[in-house]
Amino acid sequence: MASDCDHGAPGRIALAPEGPLGAAQLAAARTARRRFMGSALAIGAGATATGSHAAEGDAAILNLPEHTRGLGQGVATTGYGAPSRHEKNLQRRESPGLTRVPQASVSFCPLQSLFGIITPNGLHFERHHQGWWDIDPAQHRLMVNGLVKQPRVFTMDDLMRLPSVSRIHFIECGANTGIEWNNVALPSVQYTHGMLSCCEYTGVALSTLLEMCGADVKGQRHVLAEGADGSSMTRTIPMKNALDDVIVAWGMNGEMLRPENGYPLRLVVPGVQGVSWVKYLRRIEVGDQPWFTKDEELHYIDLMPDGMHRQFTSIQECKSVITTPSGGQRLLEKGYHNVTGLAWSGRGKVRRVDVSVDAGRTWRTARIEGPVLTKALTRFNIDWVWNGSPAILQSRAIDETGYVQPKIDQLRAVRGSRSIYHNNAIQSWRVAESGTVYNVQAV
Amino acid sequence: MARRSHLVVAVALLALVGAAAARAETPWSAIGRPATPAEVKAWDIDVRADFKGLPPGRGSVAQGQALWETKCAACHGIFGESNEVFTPLVGGTTKDDIARGRVASLTATGVPHRTTLMKASKVSALWDYIHRAMPWQAPKSLTADEVYAATAYLLSLADVVPPDFTLSDSNIAEVQQRLPNRNGKVFEPNLWNVRGKGDVKNTACMSQCPVQGKLTSTFPDTEWGGNGNLAEQNRMFGPVRGHAPTTLK
Repeated sequence: MASDCDHGAPGRIALAPEGPLGAAQLAAARTARRRFMGSALAIGAGATATGSHAAEGDAAILNLPEHTRGLGQGVATTGYGAPSRHEKNLQRRESPGLTRVPQASVSFCPLQSLFGIITPNGLHFERHHQGWWDIDPAQHRLMVNGLVKQPRVFTMDDLMRLPSVSRIHFIECGANTGIEWNNVALPSVQYTHGMLSCCEYTGVALSTLLEMCGADVKGQRHVLAEGADGSSMTRTIPMKNALDDVIVAWGMNGEMLRPENGYPLRLVVPGVQGVSWVKYLRRIEVGDQPWFTKDEELHYIDLMPDGMHRQFTSIQECKSVITTPSGGQRLLEKGYHNVTGLAWSGRGKVRRVDVSVDAGRTWRTARIEGPVLTKALTRFNIDWVWNGSPAILQSRAIDETGYVQPKIDQLRAVRGSRSIYHNNAIQSWRVAESGTVYNVQAV
Repeated sequence: MARRSHLVVAVALLALVGAAAARAETPWSAIGRPATPAEVKAWDIDVRADFKGLPPGRGSVAQGQALWETKCAACHGIFGESNEVFTPLVGGTTKDDIARGRVASLTATGVPHRTTLMKASKVSALWDYIHRAMPWQAPKSLTADEVYAATAYLLSLADVVPPDFTLSDSNIAEVQQRLPNRNGKVFEPNLWNVRGKGDVKNTACMSQCPVQGKLTSTFPDTEWGGNGNLAEQNRMFGPVRGHAPTTLK
């Protein structure tokens, strides 16, 4: 019978919140307290008579709520549905002090509270270089020029008539986890890994457009992608990728792209860092050498210990992270937990994910939840029974090339700690006795 | 003979038809339209590292300074040194760097910023970016001559060009040979090619794995509020809650 205590509310640890709280949190805490009292009374077999049903069971069951006794709302109350009012905590958020101008900044995706592999469109991370626009698709044009037989112009009407493909891919900013090369700096997975999203993209294969324009694809060839916004972002794309799986996309999870993500047209470059997924795409140029654009010359370059910058580092190598439990979360109980997270590789499919709860001494292979798609987020789960002692949780992904996600000290040994970009280290989360999860680096 | 030559012609015609089909005449190949030369000119503004695409023109350091003070200094500071809005453009380079083509301060760990001129290895990228994206609130409003002038002034702040210099399409290749970090980049093919091999290796050890068992870094309790109240950034039900900070920053 002693084990009953571990399952009931009295076994919960450290529920009382600390410090100054927001109004929403206070209200929630009051609700939680009422629920706590309700269950405690139920278990305590009616020690205090605050409600006639207390001894009989859960008030949430015994007292039929309004939604069970009343009339609900009609169809099309909101023409475009929105998340429940109880889901307001899930927002993409800026990290204070990271940037000084909101038009050249980033907002992070709340990975800690998402399920599966698809990112809801409204929570997709943002990265803008000179502010975002909501462009009139009737006025948008795509030009293909350079080493082509015939430079051509396409309207959205034209593009959307063409044979289309729909594919699920992750997009990760090259600077994701970039602030953690030296030491931990951020409290939660939203900020450490949240420049990451995964959507089903619909569009026309870039190879189709190149073929239509008679592109010269023999020999040393590269493609320049250029945006229509003020920054007119330009990035060089390898012709091998352009002919393989690059998409000129308008669709995102079944609807049009969101303005923050490049409406009405963006490039999708599977496996390659997000900066190359040029938004508001207006032009594709075929050339015989890389362009060395500003974002290939001054940013998205990786500083090595010898003072040289690696240039054109594009591939997002195999990486994973546990999203629950993760930094800044608090486990409510000892006992069983479903440890869950995401794995991905810019070189193909995730083959396997291992999880350690002892800082990397021993590993168990996690369950991969389908689907397992190339260059897409892959969800993993593993069972864990927490005994209440401090534990350090890690996940380690292996992709289909056999590449094993490295440890932070292995990355530092090769690349130093000042490269900013392409930190795909194994993430460590320390679960303290209190149940609070800390971002740590363990070697 | 006559019949035979007819046959030859027929075979040749068939071959022509076949060749046309092989030229990828798809049912959608007529969609879209040819771009006019004026349209291509209006949008094809990129300047490549070999200066392909660079329009003719010229601008002096003095002209650049006047332009800078009205259109650039608010964000970047009069001397490109400001760290108020963006990372500084100028600083951290020396005359020795200009001679060597490598910026020595990039190996120093104490340097707080990497300025634009510490990193730049292609002058074309500076010209192209100023031309396409500056000024911040009015991109693409500068004439080619103004871009030459602004670039000249910026480079003069790091002594890449002298104060009496006039930058033009005819001398920009020489200026390229004075960029402080022109030899400071390396191409890493493994991180460019999707089929490349990673440069950092780990093994999939499963038990008794070699770890030091040390925490080299832990998120400090004093910093919980730095990114807001995490209790309000997690769902209020389910297996976990967000941690409420003791001190909100």
